[in-house]
Amino acid sequence: MKEREKSRRYSILGAFLSIFPFIIFLRMASIQVNPDIVRKMQEIGDAFTNPLLTLTPARGQIFDRRGNLLAGNRKVYEVGVELQDVENPTTIAQTVSALLGVDYEDALYVASLESSDSMVYSPLTNNVTEEEIEKLKVIIEQMGAVYTGKRDENTPSLNGLVFSPRLGRIYPEEALASNILGFVNRMGEGFYGVEGRFDSLLKGMSKVVRSSNDPNRAEEMPSVPDGASLVLTIDREIQRAMERIIDDAVAETSSDSGTLVVVNPRTGEVIAMATTPRMDLNQFWKVDEIFTNETPYNRAVSQSYEPGSVFKVLTMASGLDSGAVTPETVFVDTGAIEIGGTIIYNWNQVAWGPQDMQGCMQHSLNVCLAWISTQIGSDAFYQYLSGFGIGHVTGIDLDGEASGRLKEPGDNDWYAADLGTNAFGQGVAATPIQMAVSISAIANDGVMMAPQIVKSVVSEGYQHHIDQRVLGMPIKAETARILSEMLANSLETESSDALVTGYRIAGKTGTAEIPTPFGYTSNETNASFVGWGPVDDPRFLIYVWLEKPGTSQWGSVVAAPVFQRAAEELVVLLNLPPDAIRKKLARD
Amino acid sequence: MDQLENIARSYFQAPWRKQLQIIALFLLGLVIIALVAGVYLSISARATAVGRDIQKMQREISNLDKVNESLQSDLAKILSSSHMEARARTLGFIETPPDQIVYLKVPGYVERQSVILAPSSDRNVVRAISMPPEYTESLFEWVYRQARDWIASISEEKP
Repeated sequence: MKEREKSRRYSILGAFLSIFPFIIFLRMASIQVNPDIVRKMQEIGDAFTNPLLTLTPARGQIFDRRGNLLAGNRKVYEVGVELQDVENPTTIAQTVSALLGVDYEDALYVASLESSDSMVYSPLTNNVTEEEIEKLKVIIEQMGAVYTGKRDENTPSLNGLVFSPRLGRIYPEEALASNILGFVNRMGEGFYGVEGRFDSLLKGMSKVVRSSNDPNRAEEMPSVPDGASLVLTIDREIQRAMERIIDDAVAETSSDSGTLVVVNPRTGEVIAMATTPRMDLNQFWKVDEIFTNETPYNRAVSQSYEPGSVFKVLTMASGLDSGAVTPETVFVDTGAIEIGGTIIYNWNQVAWGPQDMQGCMQHSLNVCLAWISTQIGSDAFYQYLSGFGIGHVTGIDLDGEASGRLKEPGDNDWYAADLGTNAFGQGVAATPIQMAVSISAIANDGVMMAPQIVKSVVSEGYQHHIDQRVLGMPIKAETARILSEMLANSLETESSDALVTGYRIAGKTGTAEIPTPFGYTSNETNASFVGWGPVDDPRFLIYVWLEKPGTSQWGSVVAAPVFQRAAEELVVLLNLPPDAIRKKLARD
Repeated sequence: MDQLENIARSYFQAPWRKQLQIIALFLLGLVIIALVAGVYLSISARATAVGRDIQKMQREISNLDKVNESLQSDLAKILSSSHMEARARTLGFIETPPDQIVYLKVPGYVERQSVILAPSSDRNVVRAISMPPEYTESLFEWVYRQARDWIASISEEKP
């Protein structure tokens, strides 16, 4: 071969080979100058060196008024699989099924998933406790030690099984005040009660930051303030006592359910709110098993019912305040009254003859109260009821409050007869908290305080106290005092089962028939009692409701003794001396 | 004199001496580079180690926060009303019948108040500057401040 030809071939080969570095150079240049590619490459690089990190603040705690923790946090783990590392899905499924109670088929399905660009990890379960993780660690360690050497697809392996810590909710008091607290699900979302109502406040604000795996670029992590903590108005000891009392009452009277609300009429603070059923909040997933058939989570705020004769307190307050009647007004009870074409009878179908207003309340005369409503006049009567908050939500700090129903003149379904029936609590629906709040106006000299569950909010190092609000002043102070006296005298005269030795109590029983699609034809009733004391300086108001009691249909028989038991325990827990001692101590 | 110059010239121009100079210079450069590289490596290794420590401590802080929350909840569980009641009964305590309660007037006794977990936001908090300016100002600012104070003190001294 001639030298020239040889040289030409070398030149061609050299030129050909130099194309590759040239292409590489072009590609490098295009990557460097093309903004889309630069951004994409940056993202890919950042994903490895500076991954995005979500800083989730600890959920705020919930305390009772004495500082006892009702809802806190604990370290729990999420267990999942890194799909590309899984060697034997069966071993993983068997282990998590036996140790953590995960369904075997579900676990096998998750562990058998193929990893892809869009999925490299899949969770198996969460809320796993530290103790369970310790057991899991031991098994992983033992399995790693036993199965060494040559491996195939049948070799038992827990490779790919990973767990990461996070904070989960815990309720140290378990079922106590469960209807007030609500719960937090696995996704960290609050449901019902305070957890539901103040979810965003308790949760706090998450922050997404870019962290660095490069130790040379280690920076201080930005701090994320914890979620706000709440101090409730309820007292743990009183709540516990009230729950025990209502549970016993439901069992003794064979009632469908029971509700007991304790409020401070002076401030509107809810001291206790006990309802049935309740559940252990640490097992929140059982909510559908416990609250079946549309059972409200908290009957005290979410279930309205026809309250019956306890409503007469509001009618009498309206009558006295409007001047339609005075305590000395005498009504001659003939046992029946016709209003709007409907004849209204007394509870025992008997004519009681001449009765003053205290007698009307003491004997719970429907006819008398219906007559009072006619004396007030429909416009004024419904204005008074609206002023007492009937038909309106109270605005209590709990999720799912119902407004009840008050039909008023002008509504399509209001009839003239409703004026008479509403006067004794029929044809009108209210929740227990509505009743307690409206009647608290009578205990508190005519001032109706807004019900309060959250006493203060602790956020970013400060405690913010929630101001008490006045909902309205539906009646005059004098009217309230007169009616309190009348109701206290009524209880004393009839030697009610609600009386508490040493304490002067005012109160009223209620027995309401339950409406059916065919009218008030059922023998089932709602038995209620509302009472407050001490009459000269009210410190508590207790509202009791027993739904469909089986042993007796009368509120005076089943609900009044529940009030008495509750009040007897309450005065001790509130450090409230008997009236005589209190007055003596005040004099000394 | 000429003889001395000749010796100096021959010594200066000897090839092996020139080579020795080059090698010496090269080695000197190498030693300097090695020293700088050594110092750089040492510092960057320490910075990396500190960085690792920071990352480790950040993880530890995060873990301790979680442990702290868990411990608070564990304590609350131990002090829960059902546990406390059971422990009290085990110790022989019983509930006091209402008729056996004796009420006494204690001068100065303040009724049990609701819990205070943090300072009230209603209070006027006086925010005092706790850090002297020396910790935040630059050298120039410090010199300027000293000069200003000195001039001010002189002008005050004048009648």
